[in-house]
Amino acid sequence: MDWEADEKEVKAAGGELLPHGRKGLRIHGWEIESSNRSCLTSLNLQSWEEKLETSHLPEMIFGDSLLVLKHMSSGIKVHFNAFDALVGWKNEPLPPVEVPAAAQWKFRSKPFEQIILDYDYTFTTPYSGSETVETRGGIDVEGNDHLKWDDCEEQINVAALTSKEPILFYDEVILYEDELADNGVSLLTVKVRVMPSYWFLLLRFWLRVDGVLMRLRDTRVVCNFRENTRPVILRDVSWRETTFKALASKGYPSDSASYNDPNIIGQRLPIVLHKTQKLKVPDSL
Amino acid sequence: MSDLDRQIERLKNCEPLKESEVKALCLKAMEILVEESNVQRVDAPVTICGDIHGQFYDMKELFKVGGDCPKTNYLFLGDFVDRGFYSVETFLLLLALKVRYPDRITLIRGNHESRQITQVYGFYDECLRKYGSVNVWRYCTDIFDYLSLSALIENKIFSVHGGLSPNINTLDQIRTIDRKQEVPHDGAMCDLLWSDPEDIVDGWGLSPRGAGFLFGGSVVTSFNHTNNIDYICRAHQLVMEGFKWMFNNQIVTVWSAPNYCYRCGNVAAILELDENLNKQFQVFKAAPQDSRGAPAKKPPPDYFL
Repeated sequence: MDWEADEKEVKAAGGELLPHGRKGLRIHGWEIESSNRSCLTSLNLQSWEEKLETSHLPEMIFGDSLLVLKHMSSGIKVHFNAFDALVGWKNEPLPPVEVPAAAQWKFRSKPFEQIILDYDYTFTTPYSGSETVETRGGIDVEGNDHLKWDDCEEQINVAALTSKEPILFYDEVILYEDELADNGVSLLTVKVRVMPSYWFLLLRFWLRVDGVLMRLRDTRVVCNFRENTRPVILRDVSWRETTFKALASKGYPSDSASYNDPNIIGQRLPIVLHKTQKLKVPDSL
Repeated sequence: MSDLDRQIERLKNCEPLKESEVKALCLKAMEILVEESNVQRVDAPVTICGDIHGQFYDMKELFKVGGDCPKTNYLFLGDFVDRGFYSVETFLLLLALKVRYPDRITLIRGNHESRQITQVYGFYDECLRKYGSVNVWRYCTDIFDYLSLSALIENKIFSVHGGLSPNINTLDQIRTIDRKQEVPHDGAMCDLLWSDPEDIVDGWGLSPRGAGFLFGGSVVTSFNHTNNIDYICRAHQLVMEGFKWMFNNQIVTVWSAPNYCYRCGNVAAILELDENLNKQFQVFKAAPQDSRGAPAKKPPPDYFL
């Protein structure tokens, strides 16, 4: 069953729920909306393959599912969708990861003619979200010239995120998922919670290739509500990665079943990339 | 009413059997399955079903659409367990029906009917949670080793969970496999349970994982011709529309887990063949929420960081 917002709490915090049929709320100048839809049908999948110029996509793409956070007066929109994430995958062509059985397969007699496919079947993406400015006409202007993420020294204040204020709105949106043909999991999801004084979200790419490696690429984005000023949006990007072999050498279990929940085992994976960034908002907005 | 009939009634209500009952049921099932061929002969009319994956209440929808066993003759293409919440009840109901009506239901093995895979993808944990020990998992996985590898309907339709193997040209070659073992990591038995048809290769393709075959249209044409069959019916891959023909109707994928993993929003299908092998796909949706037993509880707030 889905999480349900408490309308009274939302009102008490100065917000309002979106009208019937939409999931989300308006609060302190922000409109925050999520939607969870079905996987793409075969027909839609085909058109994505053409647009992305690939014949291999995750088997479950929630192509119409979205999370959108829009600052209403400036039109600044931070949003999350599967398509942009897969563009990121296409642009980061990682070498294929061989599963443990591959070692044995090298000794198999080969069929007369055999093509070896070599795309990144893990669908690993550097995606950290999309940002656009929505003009008054409702047209989105793509990021680069207008919005930019600059590296910064400022860190997300984690302690402030642990206070047990009521959660006014919560949702988790799966963007895509693949079972790696029963060799593990590749999963891109975004979770959001809106509190009386801020919103916070976690975009997570989670990969486990059974017996081989794990990757966890997290993007945390936070924005404190402030009246009548341009929003300050901070994000923390943290990539972790390790092999089962490395875990075993540290004395950790090396069976795949022990690594089902990245919330529990994430800390065991060493950080391979970390940066904090602030969204630079042009003066014109 | 016999004990077995009573057990079937309980399982139809999604009540699991006692550990001792599971043990006895598995022993009886073993006696039946051991006699089956690696290419089990099946008569028409028959209704072919793809992956179920422990989605018990959706399997009940399947029986609503397809009719009850034994009135309807069924062929299930494997992957009864893992991923869903009710692998135990799902597999035991199918197994109990097999013991009760051996000639009216055929179960063949999927790649999830394996010790290794079930330890990662749910069935092992479910057995441990529901019984407090792994004995039921042991009885069931021992039975998995006895499941047939494929079926042949009226000598015309070849049915298998995954697909073809470069080591297999004829059905007789499948008949010679010693199947009573854990699914191996390579070789013909592995391929039958794991391989996939693939549009972009014509002959054989190797997965970028370095293990796992993909086969193209010409491979299917040649196999069907050599063995004098009309087409291949397989499961193993999610199809949002429930079924999918490939390579000019030489192979069809049937998928029978609607709203797969309780979130994909796909429909499911079964393939009904009449006595003349005329085809009729029945497409169905997931069971409505209120028919799924206890309603899901509202989850507590998630203060994720």
